[in-house]
Amino acid sequence: MAPAIELRSLYRRYGRNFVLADITLTVEAGRTVLLKGANGAGKTTLLRVLATRLRPSRGAGRIFGADLAREAQSVRRRVAYLSVLGGHSPTLTARENLHFAATIYGSPATVVDRSLASVGLGGVGDRTVRTFSSGMKKRLGVARLLLAPSDLWLLDEPYAALDEEGKGLIDDLLTDAQARGKTVIMASHALERCGRFAEATLELEGGRLRRADPEVQHV
Amino acid sequence: MSDLVLVLAVAHRDARQELRSRAVTVATVFFSGITVVILSFALGPDPDDLRRAAPGILWVALAFAGVISAAQSYQNELAEGAFEQLLISPIPRAAIYVGKLLANWLTMFLLGLLLLAAIVILFDLPLGRGGPLLAATLASGTLGFSLIATFYAALTANLRARESLLPVLMFPVVVPVLLAAVRATETLLGPGQATGNPALAGPWLQLLVGFDLAYLVVCTAIFHFVVEE
Repeated sequence: MAPAIELRSLYRRYGRNFVLADITLTVEAGRTVLLKGANGAGKTTLLRVLATRLRPSRGAGRIFGADLAREAQSVRRRVAYLSVLGGHSPTLTARENLHFAATIYGSPATVVDRSLASVGLGGVGDRTVRTFSSGMKKRLGVARLLLAPSDLWLLDEPYAALDEEGKGLIDDLLTDAQARGKTVIMASHALERCGRFAEATLELEGGRLRRADPEVQHV
Repeated sequence: MSDLVLVLAVAHRDARQELRSRAVTVATVFFSGITVVILSFALGPDPDDLRRAAPGILWVALAFAGVISAAQSYQNELAEGAFEQLLISPIPRAAIYVGKLLANWLTMFLLGLLLLAAIVILFDLPLGRGGPLLAATLASGTLGFSLIATFYAALTANLRARESLLPVLMFPVVVPVLLAAVRATETLLGPGQATGNPALAGPWLQLLVGFDLAYLVVCTAIFHFVVEE
């Protein structure tokens, strides 16, 4: 079985600056990995590269054996990304946003209400997202994640903006993901909380993976 | 999931967003209405002058309103990362483009019908037998415009100077469509021998359809280059 993530000397550049440099990494399927690092270390950029939003400037990468650049469409079928911003259309209601996601992923429309209820947004499904707080948008992002039949979850600051109850939802989500054998990469500053679930920790520093331990490149 | 279902889902979502963000709808309707009124005042009360200028007034108002609408079609989504989420979802790039195109076209076509009705009434223009051909001209002209506008709006969506760059980049490309649309409309609405003579509109309409097909093929094929980062 192909590893969930396989990166070989991957670089990503914004203008003249390399935001990611020489990233070589293998993550086996079913692992939960915490990605840590200071602001600007390249965590979000790495997640966006893995989600196929950004193309590698140099080097190569594979997700479940599919090439990040040449087989991006195959990669997208197996990856779901929870962004910091939420990624919802602000002028649509929560329910409309999820209906659209369900259509894209080929999920039945009946799961929309169940997803909304599972993240505690059952009562506000008909409100437009622009009236939501940051925490509610994050919860809606989690509801969308549940609709996607993906094998690799990329979570960018999953605990940010959430209250204690919301953080509990993420805990449940991660427990469930591990039980179902999903691969999870989470970039976070909530090290203690994420640490409860992470089977390995990767640290980015100035766009490079720290290599104090050679094993860190194969998790 | 078939591509057609995905195209319709994107179009439906975009059309709904367009209707919800009333600021854009109000701005485009108000702006195009003001353009028609100002130009008709500038031309004076002579009915022949007004009739001669009517096709140009219609397409000038539509073109400017179309730029506002196209630029906004991406801004609604960019702010909260919805467009990024769309791009990392398993939808072919071509389906995203065609879906957005359909929504923009629908908006522009409806605006065109509204403006045409206003101009026909205000300028007392005879529609005669040219009604269906006029609708076809409006449909193919607004489609050609929307093809270019949707494409270039994506190209400039992430740029700081997008509001000024979008018209600068797209108008040179869209000029052939506007010229053919104005000439076809003129043969159906304008004064003189050509008035109400649908046969004269045929070549211009064929040219418009030709432009539409060429732009559709090219823009759909290269849209993924525009949205890749």
